[in-house]
Amino acid sequence: MKKTLTLFAALSLLVVSFGLAQVEKPSDLKFSPLSYEPPNPQAFRMTFANGLRGYIQEDRGLPLVNISAVVNFGKLAVARDKAGLESILGDTLIKGGTKTREGSAVEERIDFLGGSLDFRVGERTSTLSLSVLSRDLDEGLALFFDVLMHPEFRENAVNLAKRRLTEQLRQANDAPSMVLAREYEKLLYGDHPLTWQATKKTYDAVLPGDLKAVHGRYFFPKNTILTASGDFSKADLKAKINKFAASWPNQSPAPQSWSKTFPAVEPGVHFIQKAINQGYISLGHLGLEDTDPDYYAVQVMNFILGGGSFTSRITTKVRSNEGLSYNQGSRFTYRWGFPGTFAGYVQTKSATVGYAISLILNEFDRIRKEPVSDAEMETAVNFYLESFSDAFQSPQATMATFANLEMTGKPMDYYKTYRQKIKVVTKAMVQEAARKYIHPDRAAVLIVGDWEPCNAGSDKFAGPLDKFGAVRRITLIDPLTGEPAKTR
Amino acid sequence: MKRFLTVLVLLLASASILAAGLALDVKELVLSNGMKILMIPKAGVPRVVCHVYYKVGSINERPGITGIAHVHEHMMFKGTRMLGVTDFDKDAALDRKIDEVMDKIYRDKYWKSDGGDKTRLAQWQKDYEELVQSEKPLIVKDELWTLYMRNGGTGLNASTGNESTGYYVTLPSNKVELQMLLESDRMANAYFREFYSEKDVVMEERRLSENSPGSLFNEQVNAAFYAASPYHWDVIGWMDDLRKMTKADMVEFHDTYYVPNNCVAIYVGSFDPAALGAMAEKYFGRIPRGKDVEPIRTFEPPQYSEKRMYGQGPAPTGLQLMFHIPPEGHPDAAALSVVADALGAGGGRGFRGMGGGSGTGRLYKTLVRDKELAVSASASSRPQWYVGAFQFSATPRVDKNVLPEDLEKAIWAEVEKIKKEGVTPDEIQKAKNRSEAMFIRALDSAMGLAMRAGRAELNRGWRSLADDVEAVKKVSNDDVKRVAAKYFVKDNSLTAIYTRMMGR
Repeated sequence: MKKTLTLFAALSLLVVSFGLAQVEKPSDLKFSPLSYEPPNPQAFRMTFANGLRGYIQEDRGLPLVNISAVVNFGKLAVARDKAGLESILGDTLIKGGTKTREGSAVEERIDFLGGSLDFRVGERTSTLSLSVLSRDLDEGLALFFDVLMHPEFRENAVNLAKRRLTEQLRQANDAPSMVLAREYEKLLYGDHPLTWQATKKTYDAVLPGDLKAVHGRYFFPKNTILTASGDFSKADLKAKINKFAASWPNQSPAPQSWSKTFPAVEPGVHFIQKAINQGYISLGHLGLEDTDPDYYAVQVMNFILGGGSFTSRITTKVRSNEGLSYNQGSRFTYRWGFPGTFAGYVQTKSATVGYAISLILNEFDRIRKEPVSDAEMETAVNFYLESFSDAFQSPQATMATFANLEMTGKPMDYYKTYRQKIKVVTKAMVQEAARKYIHPDRAAVLIVGDWEPCNAGSDKFAGPLDKFGAVRRITLIDPLTGEPAKTR
Repeated sequence: MKRFLTVLVLLLASASILAAGLALDVKELVLSNGMKILMIPKAGVPRVVCHVYYKVGSINERPGITGIAHVHEHMMFKGTRMLGVTDFDKDAALDRKIDEVMDKIYRDKYWKSDGGDKTRLAQWQKDYEELVQSEKPLIVKDELWTLYMRNGGTGLNASTGNESTGYYVTLPSNKVELQMLLESDRMANAYFREFYSEKDVVMEERRLSENSPGSLFNEQVNAAFYAASPYHWDVIGWMDDLRKMTKADMVEFHDTYYVPNNCVAIYVGSFDPAALGAMAEKYFGRIPRGKDVEPIRTFEPPQYSEKRMYGQGPAPTGLQLMFHIPPEGHPDAAALSVVADALGAGGGRGFRGMGGGSGTGRLYKTLVRDKELAVSASASSRPQWYVGAFQFSATPRVDKNVLPEDLEKAIWAEVEKIKKEGVTPDEIQKAKNRSEAMFIRALDSAMGLAMRAGRAELNRGWRSLADDVEAVKKVSNDDVKRVAAKYFVKDNSLTAIYTRMMGR
């Protein structure tokens, strides 16, 4: 067999030399045109009994079905004295059982079928996801809707979750990356539901009745969007889902709102002591919402600044030229209903902390002051245009994307118009976006690291760190109590 | 042109394997230089996952050059004779001078017991920095990466493991030729510019993992578990070797392992296999075959004595219990995977980020839920290519003053039960169902499929993906009892106990 193949290969080499022109460098390559239109959300949208909505795609390639329910409930809806309720809910919606089934019976059955049933609570939405072989669809659906509609939050499961989550709190200050992420948000958003942390006391305060109340208040058809993809007929699936949805008590979604006022960030250095051999750094301030018309220009701008990995300026300067770090760049994060964050970031050995920060600040400054180059524009814009179809590779992810558009109230033609909005971004718009959304003078520089060597610096950039503004030392909170931690 | 291509269709070997009632169709092409091309057409968006895998990883290293497989993977992004440079000859002349200076520095700094002559070293360091500055205008930064991104490349990355190294990009269907050109170019013509600053980058990468709580202990545990085989060191390598490895080491490594006969390219997505096959011939086919690559020599000898390790530091208190098991494809591998599944394979599910173990595994039910001794408890079976490991991990309930040693006793009790009684028919059936379903799910993601089939091809062939599912189907309770008795013995074990120490 192998010998034959080698012979074939030799033959085909002949074919090639006749068939295809030799190309020696990338600029000689000619690509045939390729047009791609994104799927239209309306083609997949369905409504079910009781006003339950869904995005459903048949995909008969494999004998699999994936179904998710996205519910408009998240961590932000939890009261401060019960902070962390969302984690307990996350762990016990399934494990706490239903009116007619023990949690362990649900898990055993799903596992036996080789399926999975998973529940996660996010900032503003929760998602229950089922994956089963299509031959087990009926049984899977029955378990899925039972858990979604009739969770019982049995006391033993709730108590176990509370004790395990409390134990998990002990790790909250272990990993420097986790500390940095959490404290950066606290710095930028201040005292706000976005940054409230669970403690042993707030976990203890959560009772099964609280979980039932949350379920009763938020988990109903009109507050939920389904997504499904896989080996089924749409009509069949609709009939099956309707049977469950028809008996699911409904309500009208109550509007939720939160303060969007955040404290002004103190510019300068905010330092958290940890005995490690690198400084973990985020520097920046609040960003914008992804519904902002400037979003597209900001995307292109940040790609050039530090979002486009190796093609970006920060990576070139900090990593490639200087070898200061493995991971560095800039990012804008986005969250539903709030401005996200903007940060330049890097982790580098203690002695080069100041130098790396100075290089990043220089880039913040440069992109505000000078127009970007034509080549940079071309790479950034082409990346967004040419990689666009990547977002639709998986039917289940595509359905989730559409559900998310509807849940967050974004225009349903978001993807249809996306490329056009990227195309019209100009160099002037990029510079304008940089001037509007990047403010080195207002940036908070958060460092988790070892003070002495970080502050001393190195030949290339000697300390002290107060060159970047007043230095404030942050004392970490003992995660179990919420009180300042004893010195470590 | 079209006619020729149609002829080529017939030349592609097409094969499919059947598992879980499903066929996996793979078009195979072996080029005359020994390189393998696998193609899996898949309907969907007009994109193609393009991966190249080399049969080389950290196990092909030796003391002195540990970490080189991974550093080399970084260097593969630093250009070729064609890419990453404006004037090759001019740059090469400078690059040689840089190597000469660094060679002098290394010989002083690392060969001499007193660390060399400080004045001389300072001068050479200055010479080096001047040369680097004069080379900068000739370098086109990250040109390969930029080309891929400008053409819509996603999933752009590379990774080095113990056994294999992969280079990844997903491109629009009309641009696969770009990948063929760039990947064949860097296999044949890699040129390692900016070697010394890139070593600094990798040392920062090593520091990052050192700062991940518990990782330094885990590195020692791994080194103690694998005494002889080259799985002894982590992929990142020892810091000394990262410092001292040379450009010459790098070139030798490249020439030995980055040859077409040690390589598989795999394509999954929307494309015409005949056209793709012809393209592969044209680009990869032009590279001469290299010398045969010898597999690793040193496997793990029998341990003959129990090993125990204790450590303290800034991570949660925990227990690891490890046993040597045979590699992939061994007749006992399937039964061991059933044991791992029954006890609680995989970890993580059911509890966020804690490696908690499935809620239906015995360890979860006994240790976490019923006795409330552990926050999490899991078991996993990792056969690997040459030597395998079966690992138990558990985190004690510190609030109830449970010690890792208590968990050790409880896990041994579960193990002894399995030696005596095996597992239940339901547990065996569950493991079989899960392994089948996992196989089907793996076919769902183009990228996942490329990774699994591409890597499998390097070792036992892509068909082994289905062989493994079939092997699990044949496992009986007698097999389970037999493998438990054979491998879960003290002389074959390492117990690692870690205690959080707040003061560090």
